[in-house]
Amino acid sequence: MIAVLGMVLGVVLGLVFKPDVPLWMEPYLPIAVVAAMDAVFGALRAYFDGLFSDKVFVVSFISNVVIAALIVFIGDKLGVGAQLSTGVVVVLGIRIFTNVAAIRRHLFHA
Amino acid sequence: MVDAKHSTLQGPPAPPRDSAATLGLLGYVTAHALDDDYREAARTRPGPTRSSRWLTVIALAAFMVLIITAATQTSRNAVAEAHERADLVKQVKARRAAVDKAQARILRLRATNSRLSADLVHNDKLSAGTRQRLGDLGVLSGVAAVHGPGVEITVDDAPGATTERQTVLDVDLQALVNGLWQAGAEAMSINGQRITGMTAISQAGSAIDVNYTNLSRPYVVSAIGDPARLPTRFADTVGGQTWLDLHQQVGLAFDVRTRTRLDLPAATAPALRSAEPAKGGAS
Repeated sequence: MIAVLGMVLGVVLGLVFKPDVPLWMEPYLPIAVVAAMDAVFGALRAYFDGLFSDKVFVVSFISNVVIAALIVFIGDKLGVGAQLSTGVVVVLGIRIFTNVAAIRRHLFHA
Repeated sequence: MVDAKHSTLQGPPAPPRDSAATLGLLGYVTAHALDDDYREAARTRPGPTRSSRWLTVIALAAFMVLIITAATQTSRNAVAEAHERADLVKQVKARRAAVDKAQARILRLRATNSRLSADLVHNDKLSAGTRQRLGDLGVLSGVAAVHGPGVEITVDDAPGATTERQTVLDVDLQALVNGLWQAGAEAMSINGQRITGMTAISQAGSAIDVNYTNLSRPYVVSAIGDPARLPTRFADTVGGQTWLDLHQQVGLAFDVRTRTRLDLPAATAPALRSAEPAKGGAS
């Protein structure tokens, strides 16, 4: 319940303030979003598994976002930014799929 | 990786799902889709505290802000790109119109060009005709040097002339020249003085002036014309009759020779100051 409240708050904040992304941050935003999605779906699965922990969620969320952005940043500096972001997206995508599949099993028992 | 090797070398075989080496990357990623920390935390669960719950809410809010921002950014970029695209399309169309216009202009100019060059050729023909006409007029008026076949008539005083009648007078030369004109001479000169429409042959004391230049005898009249017909036709003219009498009765020297080539000098062209062609009179 309180989680839904937080999400609604986020949507409202985002829509009201429409934060402008600095140009240098623009390439890292999509990767950060994917990493954040991974953390959120992982937390949801943990919640259904009965293993949810606020502390772990917050830490994994922040570290996911920061590390994903950092990997792409370093990749950009090395000239392999596109390849590294592809790798990050693939790994995170697989994790998201797996976690969503687990959530689906919990919700529909299928 | 090193860790996995280490465990296989030293310790008892690890359970397959913990080993990245045996699972492979995909299997590992799938098996560890859920952060292991959740299980660790669940084992030593202290229960949610108030502050950590609020942190979750903040993290979720940040997540949504992130998503919204990314979405608006993308759509904004899309809008900007669409604008740019429309701008480029507009530019391309403008350029294409300019190119079309320039091409039409090229066609027009090319047509003008060919018309003008046709005109030029036409004018060239015209000017060729004009030049021909100018040359003819120069020959007729005497302002152009000419050459051609003709006759050369040498006249002189009678040998041992004592009276004025036995010398060649201006009237005699006038009769000779007029007779030759009548006989069909096309150009004439006396002792190198070209005879034109403005030439005066006049007596100046004992000498004869032609073109206001003093001539000395003998007088050589060069006339360009048909050498075969000029002498006979001259004999039929009044001037010819006069000279027949002068030659036979008075004894003036009169010698006619035909020439295949005579060179006549040009007369000095008089500057026209007052005379102007009559309107419509030019032909």
